[in-house]
Amino acid sequence: METKKETKKIREAVKRKKQATYTPVKPEMQLGFIHHNVDCIGCRACEIACKDKNGLAPGPRFRRVQYVEGGTYPDVFAYKVNMSCNHCAEPACLPTCPTGAIFKRKQDGIVDIDSTLCIGCRRCEAACPFGAPQFDPSDNIVKKCNLCVDEIEAGRKPYCVMACMMRVLDIGTIDEIWNGTLETVAKGPNDTVSRQVKNMANIELTKPSIGFVAHSKGKVK
Amino acid sequence: MNKEIRFENLQKRLNLSRRSFLKTTAAGAGVAAASGLVELKHGKEAKAFAYEPYPRDDELETVVTSCAHNCGSRHMLVAHKWKDVIVRLSTDDGRYQQGGYFGKDSNEEPQLRACLRGRSYRQRLYSAERLLYPMIRVGERGEGKFKRISWDEALDYVAKKMVHLKDTYGPTAILDQSYAGASYGVLHKSDQIEGLLGRFLGMFGSRTSSWSVPSYQGTTTSSRWTFGTIEDGNEDDTYAESKLMIMWGWNPAYTFHGGNTFMYMRMAKQRGCKFVLVDPQYTDSAAAYDAWWIPIKPNTDAAMMAGMAHYIFSNNLQDQAFIDKFCMGMDAGTMPEWWRESVNGQENFKDYILGKYDNEPKTPEWAAKICGVPAEDIKKLADMYARTKPAALKASWAPGRNAYGEQYNRMAAALQAMTGNIGKLGGCAEGVGKAWHAEAVAYPYDQYSNTWFQSIKSDRWAHCVLNYPDVKREEIGLWERQDDTDGQIPNIKGIFWQGSDWFNQLTNINKEIEAIKKLELVVCMDSTITPSGIWADVLLPVATHFERHDVALPWYKGHYYIHRPKVIEPMGESKTDFQIFTELAYRIGGDVFGTAYNPKANRDYFHVNDNVDEAYLREWWEQKVMGHQHVAMSWDEFKKRGVYKFKLSRPHVAFQDQIEKELPFPTPTGKIEILSSELANIEDWTKTKYGYHIPSIPKWIEPWESLNSPKTKEWPYHLISPHPRWRTHSIFNNCSWLRETYEQEVTVNASDAKKLGIRNGDTVEIWNDRGKVVVPVYVTERCMPGVLVLHEGVWMDLDKNGVDRAGNPDFLTLDEPSPAGAFAYNTVLCNIRKTDLSHRPGWDKLATSRAHVFRREL
Repeated sequence: METKKETKKIREAVKRKKQATYTPVKPEMQLGFIHHNVDCIGCRACEIACKDKNGLAPGPRFRRVQYVEGGTYPDVFAYKVNMSCNHCAEPACLPTCPTGAIFKRKQDGIVDIDSTLCIGCRRCEAACPFGAPQFDPSDNIVKKCNLCVDEIEAGRKPYCVMACMMRVLDIGTIDEIWNGTLETVAKGPNDTVSRQVKNMANIELTKPSIGFVAHSKGKVK
Repeated sequence: MNKEIRFENLQKRLNLSRRSFLKTTAAGAGVAAASGLVELKHGKEAKAFAYEPYPRDDELETVVTSCAHNCGSRHMLVAHKWKDVIVRLSTDDGRYQQGGYFGKDSNEEPQLRACLRGRSYRQRLYSAERLLYPMIRVGERGEGKFKRISWDEALDYVAKKMVHLKDTYGPTAILDQSYAGASYGVLHKSDQIEGLLGRFLGMFGSRTSSWSVPSYQGTTTSSRWTFGTIEDGNEDDTYAESKLMIMWGWNPAYTFHGGNTFMYMRMAKQRGCKFVLVDPQYTDSAAAYDAWWIPIKPNTDAAMMAGMAHYIFSNNLQDQAFIDKFCMGMDAGTMPEWWRESVNGQENFKDYILGKYDNEPKTPEWAAKICGVPAEDIKKLADMYARTKPAALKASWAPGRNAYGEQYNRMAAALQAMTGNIGKLGGCAEGVGKAWHAEAVAYPYDQYSNTWFQSIKSDRWAHCVLNYPDVKREEIGLWERQDDTDGQIPNIKGIFWQGSDWFNQLTNINKEIEAIKKLELVVCMDSTITPSGIWADVLLPVATHFERHDVALPWYKGHYYIHRPKVIEPMGESKTDFQIFTELAYRIGGDVFGTAYNPKANRDYFHVNDNVDEAYLREWWEQKVMGHQHVAMSWDEFKKRGVYKFKLSRPHVAFQDQIEKELPFPTPTGKIEILSSELANIEDWTKTKYGYHIPSIPKWIEPWESLNSPKTKEWPYHLISPHPRWRTHSIFNNCSWLRETYEQEVTVNASDAKKLGIRNGDTVEIWNDRGKVVVPVYVTERCMPGVLVLHEGVWMDLDKNGVDRAGNPDFLTLDEPSPAGAFAYNTVLCNIRKTDLSHRPGWDKLATSRAHVFRREL
């Protein structure tokens, strides 16, 4: 990791950024995640695979399997909501970045951070309604899921998806995820996909590229 | 963009087709060849990549290997290495097998994807706790003060001490506490019964062996009595065929039996299978399979099953044809000819259930009072189980880790038999669950592999040491011997730990602490320091499975082999177990012992082991795998690919031939022995390994403590200590990635917590008259009132008053096994209160974070 920042380069970037008016990038195709909230056993192999792939120390967690439970003994229920970065159509993190380090890729809609420009101000962290940007104190910058662009470019799928023991996490074009045409075993034959589940920030904030098979108690109208 | 173009784009990007995958690997191979893997080249577009410099997978060398720790499964790990450093690990993605390609994941040959523990292996490999040099104790035993010494000094010290112990105290002086730890392969095998240590000590001539298996001895004994074998398991793909699955104390979301059992169960769910969970906790398995949760008081399972049997018999729902044909002792009509003449064989199961012998019919109402499950629910479940075909009652090990745990497993086998669900696809006879038989032995194997001079119940060693020689044989469960040493109490003066953290893992640790002070030699061989190692005199650093050559075999379920090459050179001065024992043999008994122990090697083996290990493995593959198992793939091709997956001609279902072809079961009578021939004919129980009376048919026996016993006045809570998901027993406890996702905490029911004035995240102390531990608390509605759950395996961390700050439940467990050998890990009464004592989550004082775990009232 580069520890010494090129101050001049960052100053120029800030100037460039101030001049620009932000219009969300309209990608040619938007990749996104699909996760089955019920069938997920919550093992967190995806989380550990992600930590290992990205060489993270304890602390920053790009992918977070969130446990939800409720009811009263003995009538209880539990399910999982698994999220990393949602590579939103209108990412809230992006316009907050003072150096323009955050960008959205035209070809597949992946939102990434240019680590050479990030100054670790953590504004994006505050802006994201889903908790995706993670501050890494060992490098003093913010990092997050980039959908394993290197794996995507090599013709494979991200580490988290390939780690899923239950095969309930997958990626695809977000339109196909939402309209149910994506060929994936993440979704069962009779499952429908929702864009919003309980305990999740309003999707109108950023239009996240993610779909869920929701638990009956996790459905929202 | 129209749909077609988009799809093509996606194809290109995701490479779902095989052709495009081959293109990329070819390109990757080209890069590797040109750069020699030394230069890491980055394309221009990589500039924006978040982590520069970032070696991509295709720029690294790919080596297929596997996990190696002692869990119920075995998955593939793929090491991506640069020079001698493993940069990251991935897992099976379908590419490596014969005819494989990226993404191949068929039902017949599913990917062997590693779990969270496997994925965290780099942290274990490169951990601060790694043992790199031989060490010798310089402080008091258990004080944790060691200094580095040379291999020469360490091995001479151990060799001299061993000879001294054998000469002074005889052939039982050294206790073998080897266990499957992190050395489970066909060549480098640590194991309780026939591992490398057992053969070494057997040949040396001083070995007290430990016969009862902590995880499942109740189950093992039950299966041997009932079916004559522990191979009562189905392969995991058969789980997709059930119409009803009863998970009895089984949590496949935590403990993996077979590489993909949980996934096949998902398939069953999609096909309409109904799931039931009988457990004090609403587990993640119950959630994922949308199971009907039946909370049950711990250690009362056999009573509930007896209630189910009563319902089935009294409504005539049993499969009588099956019973008549295959069972012995199920009812009056299936009694053996000799029952009148036998010592204990007068009773049959049905008449016991109907109350003919004790005027106590084991009705659902009777059972409800014991197990806390409403009679209506017992009837409903019994009805479902008897009428749904095929139905799998998966009787897991945990309820067997109890006082009289073997009775629970035998009762389950009786239910499986009376409903005719044995030997049928979609049914289940588990039990132990061992299914496909792997060729497991590449190490030298001879009469010394299982030579021992006394053998005791594993959790009675401290009792034996503390009370020697005033110990009765039944107190320590002495195994029968056919010579004049039968019944001699072992004079244990030393312990050898190979791949074992038993000091941390057996019951009643405070008693163990008293006992270990009396020993003259404690040797610990492991790849990291462990809580046991802290109590050793000598620490010998063992190379991990990444640092030696071996082949991984599946554990109980799964039909495949995974090659495990030496991925990196051994770190520090670490050596393999096999190297250490070979060298010790040379030091103790010269060339005679040395070459007898390791026939393919000479003394250089301690320094150069590659060719010898290769020779053992090649011989194993060519003779056993190619010879016995008719595999056509050559050893060299197997090594190149890294994995061999068997395609079975039909789904592997235990006892299918016994049922379909009417072959005899491997029991003395050839039947499913509900009435055990062995037990029916025992006269003097003290002369058996069991020590105490065991009924010849499955019966409900009141445990020595439970929520029904008067002891609850003083100790109102029942503690259970299941296997955690974020450790394998105690292995991986030092991995911060895993500790970040889960922490050691006690699960308490919400209404209990309210009564106790405890809130989520408070620190509590849990104690009984055996010990005290301090942990944070997790308050939930998902746990039965009166029950506390504290997962086993956390690394003990004593304060100066002997309180365990880490929260190891084995400070509270009792070292009193069941007659059949079942550890009573889950038979513990205790109390709990809020405390000011401090909890320490790990030796390195790392704070664990649960910032992203939320539990919310909805």
